[in-house]
Amino acid sequence: MSGLSFLAPMALAGLLALPLLWRLLRVTPPRPKEIDFPPLILMRDLEPKEEQPARTPPWLLALRLLAATLLILAVAGPIWNPNPTAPGGGKGPLLILMDDGWAAAQDWERRLSYTQARLAAAGRDGRQAALAPLSEGGKAIQLSDASAATERLRALKPHPRKLDRAAALPAISAFLAQRGDAELVWISDGVAQGAGDSDPKSFAAALAALPHGAAEVATGERAPLALAGAENAPTQLSVRVLRAQKTGAERGTVRALDLRGAEIGTAPFDFAQTNEAKALFDIPLELRNDVARLDILAEKSAGAVALLDDRWKRRRVLIVAETTAETAQPLLSAGYYLTRALAPFADAREIKAPASAAILTALEQRPAVLVLADVGALTGEPHDRLTRFVEEGGVLLRFAGPRLAAASDDLIPVRLRRGGRSFGGALSWDKPKTLAPFERESPFHGLPVSKEIVFGRQVLAEPEPGLAQKTWAALEDGTPLVTAQKRGAGVVALVHVAADTTWSNLPISGLFVDMLRRVVAQGKQAAEAGTTQGAGQEKPDAPLAAPARLLDGFGAFGPPPPTAKPIPADYAGEATADHPPGFYGPPDALVAVNVLSPGETLVPLDLSPLPATRAALTQPEPVDLRAPLLLLAFLLLALDALASAYASGLLRLPRRAAPVALLIAAAVLALAPDARAQSRFDYGRPLRSLLRDDGRPRSEDPALSTRLAYVVTGDAQADEASKLGLAGLTRVLRERTALDAGDPKAVDPARDDLTFYPLLYWPIVASRPQPPQAARDALALFMKNGGTVVFDTRDALTKREGAQSAEAAWLKRLLQGVDVPELEPVPADHVVTKTFYLIQGFPGRTTNGETWIEALPPAPADGSRRPARAGDSVSPLLITSNDLAAAWAETPDGEPAYPLTPGGRRQRELALRGGVNLVMYTLTGNYKADQVHVRDLLNRLER
Amino acid sequence: MGENFWQFRPLGQGESRQRIDWRRSARDDRLTVREREWESAHTVMLWADRSPSMAYRSSLAQEAKIDRALTLALAAADLLVRGGERVGFCGLARAVAARDVADRLTQALMMQERTAPAFAHAETPPLEPLAPRAQAMIFSDGLRPLPEWSLAVETLAARGAGGHLVVIADPVEETFPFAGHVEFLDVDSDWRLRAGEAAALRETYLQRLAAHRDGLSDICRRHGWSFATHRTDAAPATALLALRARLEADAFRETHR
Repeated sequence: MSGLSFLAPMALAGLLALPLLWRLLRVTPPRPKEIDFPPLILMRDLEPKEEQPARTPPWLLALRLLAATLLILAVAGPIWNPNPTAPGGGKGPLLILMDDGWAAAQDWERRLSYTQARLAAAGRDGRQAALAPLSEGGKAIQLSDASAATERLRALKPHPRKLDRAAALPAISAFLAQRGDAELVWISDGVAQGAGDSDPKSFAAALAALPHGAAEVATGERAPLALAGAENAPTQLSVRVLRAQKTGAERGTVRALDLRGAEIGTAPFDFAQTNEAKALFDIPLELRNDVARLDILAEKSAGAVALLDDRWKRRRVLIVAETTAETAQPLLSAGYYLTRALAPFADAREIKAPASAAILTALEQRPAVLVLADVGALTGEPHDRLTRFVEEGGVLLRFAGPRLAAASDDLIPVRLRRGGRSFGGALSWDKPKTLAPFERESPFHGLPVSKEIVFGRQVLAEPEPGLAQKTWAALEDGTPLVTAQKRGAGVVALVHVAADTTWSNLPISGLFVDMLRRVVAQGKQAAEAGTTQGAGQEKPDAPLAAPARLLDGFGAFGPPPPTAKPIPADYAGEATADHPPGFYGPPDALVAVNVLSPGETLVPLDLSPLPATRAALTQPEPVDLRAPLLLLAFLLLALDALASAYASGLLRLPRRAAPVALLIAAAVLALAPDARAQSRFDYGRPLRSLLRDDGRPRSEDPALSTRLAYVVTGDAQADEASKLGLAGLTRVLRERTALDAGDPKAVDPARDDLTFYPLLYWPIVASRPQPPQAARDALALFMKNGGTVVFDTRDALTKREGAQSAEAAWLKRLLQGVDVPELEPVPADHVVTKTFYLIQGFPGRTTNGETWIEALPPAPADGSRRPARAGDSVSPLLITSNDLAAAWAETPDGEPAYPLTPGGRRQRELALRGGVNLVMYTLTGNYKADQVHVRDLLNRLER
Repeated sequence: MGENFWQFRPLGQGESRQRIDWRRSARDDRLTVREREWESAHTVMLWADRSPSMAYRSSLAQEAKIDRALTLALAAADLLVRGGERVGFCGLARAVAARDVADRLTQALMMQERTAPAFAHAETPPLEPLAPRAQAMIFSDGLRPLPEWSLAVETLAARGAGGHLVVIADPVEETFPFAGHVEFLDVDSDWRLRAGEAAALRETYLQRLAAHRDGLSDICRRHGWSFATHRTDAAPATALLALRARLEADAFRETHR
């Protein structure tokens, strides 16, 4: 049906003019290249040997002819794959058999349009037609005209279930019995479904046996995908992805949604040339339990959806084991055996604590099953809470052990004899016992019983009426091994042996895992159905669950159709016409019904018995070739213009540059978007390496150089003085000392890290509010870690004798809660007066203020006069009132920035010397105190 | 060069080390040159062709022929003055021994261009005889017909002046790498030559070029001049070195005459 046709075939006559064009182009040569050439004078007398015009180069001629041909073809309006025309011309009525199960949903639109095309063709031929959706098996097939069949076709929807094609056979055979000349068209989904498609008497074979005219089977290109067998394994959620044929994409994605439709995760799958793949969701358990729906991305069918209900949820099982003696060998403890045995199917966790506390902790976590391993008699609050837990539907599984044998309570299903019994031991005549086969009523029924599992000890139940009904498992001599009793909505079960290997080897057998699985499953049954089998009561009919949200054929949730019927709460089959897939039941106990059963595999439909022509559903789209042809012709003409210009020398390109330039142009065109992205990328990361994480330039990193710092008070004048003052002091330090300090830094103790600064200058401005507590804490930490703060009250001129100035009061408030050592006025022999210069005091803008420093230990009593004294560490704070910074401050040209009192260069010099000494003191500590002894030491050495 | 001692002088920058008088230099830290009598300065008259044909530059060349010619001329002037010679420019500047001779010549050339923008530059040197012991140094593409060149050289050398003719050629002019349908345009006139297949002209052209060069060489030899060719795709220094070698050969010859 594909091919080429022209809208205006007459225009093709233009092709006849091409030879004429060829002749014309041949005799019109391009202009010669013009070249300046100075030595031409040497050839002045030369007669040109051949003056005949050069011919148009053949490649240029071909280029132009090709362009002309393309133009003519474009004018003729070529169309690739013109209007699809359905095959017609058959005889007799048209019977369309339509697969409308889940597998047809994926390409339903194509099926409809193909069918519609067939019906339209039949209508044009005046044939009657009948439409038989195979899902409506029993209905008689009505023959009508094609347009009526089209109307019916429009109303069809795929059904979210497997097809039973065999059910439709009687109606088809009835129809064909009347109209044996009918042409069969089977729009098939290619998936064998139900027993009717696989055995020799398949639908196809049956169809072949019926009288009919021509037959045709139309199938889609891509095999539909399906999901089946979702499984919530211990580590991950897995689902099988199926297909019937190895067509279509090999890879895909399955996504997991919760009940509200929010995506929880996605998982890729890869068929790898097989028909089955697995998608694994590696998501946490809590999230996995929320998964309600898995579907294949871009696959629109109910078969590609797997719904998960509570049965897929991994239940939380908590284990409480008496821990006192078992901690020595944790790998042999009951808790360890239980955790390992429960892990494959439940979220098992052991609570390690003394039993009564552990029980309370465990119950707060609302487990489905609580396992108590050898926990003795329960009393008090744990007992009451446990009772309530069981009444509300929990499962309490207890294991026997020495403690339980010694003392028990009423939270066990049977009364126990004190002490239990042992067999097979040194003091016993009996051999170890083995298990009896499980009774039909037991939840363990069907599990294989191995003779290798032997029991050496057990606790014994008191014989009582109804003991047999409570027994889930018994030993070969009839003594109960597992007993259980329904309590309220829950179950209390007791295993009469210990959960470790001291009493039996059951905990290390595979049976142990299976038994625990059944018990954990009881948790759900007990909670929802409100019944147990072990209690021996008659199991009532499971309550019906009404349809809640059902899937349509395309795999979308919708309200239940009127035909949907409720299911039993324990319904486990696949979807049927009465029970479409979806969620049934009340919102808190939804039951999921899926299209495919967990073990399902998809088998391709065997169409060989039916001799029929095959057709593809997909009709290629008509493609108008005019635009590409015109574009190509235009490009060729542009190329021709360039080539002509080049040949006539109008366009001068260096010999090698021409191809290179073309290549570059092509590359630029091809890579243009990339290039843009590239440049965006490059501009996006400027100088990143020069910035620290906080975006600060590296040069301002306070850790890179030693520098002075001052506290920003918020008072512009004081801050300016601090800034200029410390800058001046830093300059002097650089000039006179070995310290190459960085530029001083303004800090806010509440915000900035003070770790990097040896000396912090803090001018007190009484009019500013107190800094926040964070600043006070930072200050205390700074002082404690060895920093020195110089508080400058700057009130030497204003304060009066005997009265506290506002600044002093402010400072006092600031230092409340800060660990301040005892202070004293700087003594004359203090090391701070000797660290660089020998100075008498610390003058600043004023000279009469006192400077206080941490009190030194008292002078040695021996009266030996030492030139300098020092404590063990640097004083954490100095308090001065002389306004040091104002004296240090200088203008950019080196002049003092503020007038001094009384004034003079000498005062400023002394202030700077004091500053130098202060900095040296904070940096070198008591080093100078030792240094001043050098002369004595040398004297001593000489002696 | 004479035999008698004339004076000692310090070694100048760029001077040949062969001239150092090691015996004298060993007495102190300075390098000293022993100068002898009769070591008189040469007069070298430069001339560079500035006709339109010199402005040609093909894609293979580093620069136009005229640029190369002027570069060579000015560089030669500078080097010669440093070496103690006097340098002038035919028809433009008298021979001087000034250190800034290159600047002076440049200014003179630019002045001539500015004052006479439509100055039709001659394609051969001005027809004025040079002084007997002077030397001419001609940079040109030498494309004028041979009789013109013969006359020019004869006139310049009329009083016994020596000389050097350096023919500057574009690489394209020597290789003729053309093919196909080409129309050649003369640069000095509006004459044009259309060639249906340019490659066919190649042999003829190369023969004629060789004949022309032979003629030029012949003229030079007749007057005791040297003749050399220089292509604009070669480094200028090669031409300068060759010139210098020839100058020294001349000086040698002169001394031992």
